[in-house]
Amino acid sequence: MFVFRNNTVERFFPKDYTFSGYDDISFVPTDVDGYVWFYQLPVKYDQEVLCSEIRGYAQKLSFVLAQVDAVKPFIVLTMDEGAYSVPFTSGTELMAAVAEYNNALVEAAGSHSNVKLLDIREFTMQYPAEEVFDWKFWFISQMGMNPKVTKPFMAWWSRKLDEIALKRKKCLVLDLDNTLWGGVLGEDGIEGIKLGGDYPGKAFHYWQEALLELSKTGVILTVCSKNNEADVLEVWEKNPFMVLKKDNFATWRINWVDKATNIKELAEELNIGLDSFVFVDDNPTERELIKQMLPMVEVPEFPAQPYELPVFFKELVEKYFRVYSVTNEDKKKTEQYKANAQRARAQRSFVDFDSFLESLDIQIAIEAANEFNIPRIAQMTQKTNQFNLTTKRYTDADVRQFVEQGWKIWCISVADKFGDNGITGCVMVNGEELEVDTFLLSCRILGKGIEVAFIKRILLELRNQGITEVKAKYVPTAKNAQVKDFYEKCGFACLTEETDGKKTYALDLENADLSIKEYYHIKMK
Amino acid sequence: MEDKIFEILKNVFELESVDNKCSQENCEKWDSMGQLNLVVELEDAFDISLEPEEIGQMRCYNDIVKILSEKGIQ
Repeated sequence: MFVFRNNTVERFFPKDYTFSGYDDISFVPTDVDGYVWFYQLPVKYDQEVLCSEIRGYAQKLSFVLAQVDAVKPFIVLTMDEGAYSVPFTSGTELMAAVAEYNNALVEAAGSHSNVKLLDIREFTMQYPAEEVFDWKFWFISQMGMNPKVTKPFMAWWSRKLDEIALKRKKCLVLDLDNTLWGGVLGEDGIEGIKLGGDYPGKAFHYWQEALLELSKTGVILTVCSKNNEADVLEVWEKNPFMVLKKDNFATWRINWVDKATNIKELAEELNIGLDSFVFVDDNPTERELIKQMLPMVEVPEFPAQPYELPVFFKELVEKYFRVYSVTNEDKKKTEQYKANAQRARAQRSFVDFDSFLESLDIQIAIEAANEFNIPRIAQMTQKTNQFNLTTKRYTDADVRQFVEQGWKIWCISVADKFGDNGITGCVMVNGEELEVDTFLLSCRILGKGIEVAFIKRILLELRNQGITEVKAKYVPTAKNAQVKDFYEKCGFACLTEETDGKKTYALDLENADLSIKEYYHIKMK
Repeated sequence: MEDKIFEILKNVFELESVDNKCSQENCEKWDSMGQLNLVVELEDAFDISLEPEEIGQMRCYNDIVKILSEKGIQ
């Protein structure tokens, strides 16, 4: 699975998952078996910027959905508006923006059969807010969810995947005595069975109401009970507390024949495969029989106490009868929402990646190395692993020395309408050989084509200084495979390639295409 | 404490064996994600909270021992 995300979430998913850059939709891999969309509440103070960023996420999702293979599973996770809460910002406006975003996810699930919606709040609401979000881990690792909840999250995630993979069952086969009501009809009589009134009758009444609601979602209810049919028909007719009556059951087998034979008959009568059946019975012997004789039938354990029935019902629904397709009512809501969304979209929509980038209002500042930025440049050479062509580690003193030796060194700052990322990349061209010694960018700003704009602007600068040829190198490491063809993409000619993957390049500056898309607003300082 | 740290290093960085030379330099999985995982495991195992400054200084096995000792862990 490939995860689109805006924060650090690697910990929460199995080891074989791969991840997008932070809030990076420029790369949509095709060689994966499915996708996950997990955007968390961004951390910013300005409510207006925050809301527009959240709304932007919905647009990005639709942009990605348009590109992926429609048969591959695409799991979207909702955003928890209460992920963290701060004064002034966590107000109604923010809640509205998150609700709008979550609605867009519902809409996506309704209009794409491969999109499944999971509500992260189902997981997070089990914890107090301060346990799900930890500012320390936010500031040191950009974690939008406390790493301490990894284990329970992974358990939740794997359960959800099972539920999604599981085909929804069609038919529920119910026992009667001590299953739909308390007591035994044959012994306690029509009035004697426990249904309605005080506990435990109350619990069985509520359980029958629950089953009635379940049947309204399209699940077929049937009965398989060892009883006299006439007694049961009478209790259905006469017991005033009976919620589930004759008409609520599609068919039944009320007799003294073994239940495996009965269930097989039910399957034939209803023309449904046995693998679509769930059998609920309080008697462990009956359950065991069905497990042995009809292994394709699902047989959940039955709770020992009637007050556990609501929890049992919840598990039953989640495990076997979960509705992922959107209901009519949801559809109606979605229609209303769609109208609003279309109006909104008319104002700010992007049809292709270029117009998306254009909408970001990307501001790039390129600055030559100076006393103020040299520490940051050195630090980036120490820390940057992925987008780093040569991975040479330098100290402040090294960089100062290079400047004195006449190297050309620049750093880049990037801002867009969602905020300023500060100094996030640098390039070093050494003095005599005119070779790009170091070219690196923080992964924070990848996915917007900034790397290409940056190097082209630098090459242009060199050309303007009268330089005609530039050399470059790619040195592979365990972590920088993503840039192995970077120079090819920028028009460099590959001169040599060694067996370990090292490559050398040259670029004829006079004939190079150094055009840069005009939506990158670049300032050379 | 030492055995517990070795155990954590082995699990977090998926190592077959580990000794007191283990560091970011010689351990492939000890990158920024690995550091985060390591911090969470250490905090859990020793019931402590590591400060960002301490986390920043933690580059090898000996650093971990030093930081934990300073926190009074034997």
